[in-house]
Amino acid sequence: MTIWKKELRGELYSWKSMLWLVIASLSFSLTSYLLLTNKELSLLDQTELMWLLAKVIIGIGLLVTALDAASILTVEFDKDTAENIFLSPVSLSNLMLGKFMSVLTLWAAIFFVSIPYIIVASVGSGLTIPFLAHVTLLGTVGVSAFTLLILGLSLLFRTSKNTITTSLVMLLALGIPATFTTTLKNDLVSQLISHINPIDAIFSSLDNVLVDYHTSVLENWQFLLPLIVFLAITVVFLYGSERIFMKQGVVNND
Amino acid sequence: MKYTHFIFVWLLLIWCSFFVRTASASRPLILQVLSSKTLNGTAGDFVTIQGSIKNMSTQAIQGVTTYLSLSDNQTHKPVDLEDWSAEKGLYVGTIDANATLPLNWKIHFVKAGDYSLIIIAETAGDPVPQVSEITQFHVAPKKNLNPAQVLPVALGTPIVLIFLLFLAAYGRRVDE
Repeated sequence: MTIWKKELRGELYSWKSMLWLVIASLSFSLTSYLLLTNKELSLLDQTELMWLLAKVIIGIGLLVTALDAASILTVEFDKDTAENIFLSPVSLSNLMLGKFMSVLTLWAAIFFVSIPYIIVASVGSGLTIPFLAHVTLLGTVGVSAFTLLILGLSLLFRTSKNTITTSLVMLLALGIPATFTTTLKNDLVSQLISHINPIDAIFSSLDNVLVDYHTSVLENWQFLLPLIVFLAITVVFLYGSERIFMKQGVVNND
Repeated sequence: MKYTHFIFVWLLLIWCSFFVRTASASRPLILQVLSSKTLNGTAGDFVTIQGSIKNMSTQAIQGVTTYLSLSDNQTHKPVDLEDWSAEKGLYVGTIDANATLPLNWKIHFVKAGDYSLIIIAETAGDPVPQVSEITQFHVAPKKNLNPAQVLPVALGTPIVLIFLLFLAAYGRRVDE
C-alpha cells in the first residue's frame, strides 16, 4: 500500500506527468466524433463503431500501461537507486505488488475517462451496461497480464531501454494479428495463433458482445479462458523472475 | 360448344393433378413458411421465421440440411447472414416417412432495406435442392446516433481534464 501510494505520487505529481491522459481523452474524442457524426447509420454500423471504440480504449490502455510497467521498475536500475530499494525492509513481492497496483491505477484512470464516450456511443443500442462491463473485465484482465509479464521482464533485463523495446515489440506482435479480418484467419495456423493470442481473445470477445449480442460471461467463455490462462502464465513468469532475481542478487547486472 | 370447353378443362385438371403428383413423387420434401409471408420491422428488432419440412414419401429421408438464404432486393445481391442469425444452417438429419419437423430461425434485423428470404433444403445424394416460398420483409432504418450528443462529450471531457490537472497543479503550488 505504501509503495503504491509512493508510486502514484510520483506518477501524478505534476500536470506534465498526466498529460498522456488528456491525449488519450483527445483520441477518444476524435474516434467517437468521427464515427458518430454520420447523419444516419444502421444498427450494424453503430455496434461496429462501439466495437472500434472499445478496441481503441483497451488498445490505448495496454500501450500506456505497458510503457509505464516497462519503466516503473527499470528506472530504479538506471538511476542507481535499485540497491537502496531492494535492501529496504520491503519484500520483493510487496514491492512488485505496489508497482503492479500503480500501473493498474493508470488503466483505471483511462477507463474512468472513457466512460462518457462509452455512454454516448451506445445510446439507443441497449448495450451500454454490457459495453461498460466487458471493457472493464477484458481491459483489467488484459492489462494485469501484460503488466505482470513486463514486470517479470524488468527483473530479468534490469534496463529500461531493453524492457521498453521488448514490451512494445511484444505488444505489437500480438496486437497486429488481432486486427486481421476473419478472412485472413482461415487456415489452421492462423486459427491456432488467433485462439492463443490474448489480444485476439479480447477483440473477439468484444465483437461477440457488441456485434453479435452475446452479452453474458458464459457466452464469452471461449474468449475469456485463453485470457485467464495467459494471466496465470504471467503470474508464474513473474514468480520465476523474482526467484531468478533473488538468486542473482541486486547488484548483478549481466 | 360449352360441353367441349368443359371436357377440355376437365382433361386439363386431370393432367395437372398427374403432373403435381409426379412432381411431389420426385420431390418428396415440402418446405413451408408458417410465419407471415411479409414482415416489417425496424433495424434492431428480432423476429422468428417459423417453417416446417415435411417428408411426403413413404420412406425415411436421410442427411437433410436446411439453411436460410437472404438477398437484398435493392442491390440484388445475397446478404452475409453472419450478423443476422446465429444459426444459418440447421442439420435436420433423418426425416421419417410422412413426418413433419418444425424449423425456427431467430433473425436480427441489422440493416435497413427490403429483403427476400427463402429456406433451402439439401438432401444427401440429391443433386437438386428444394426451396420454400419467399418471405419478403422491409426493415425500416433506426436513427440511433445523434451528433448533438457526442460534441459536448468530445469537447468537454478533454477540457474538464485539463482544468482538473491545472487545478491540482495550482493546489500543489499553493501548498508548497
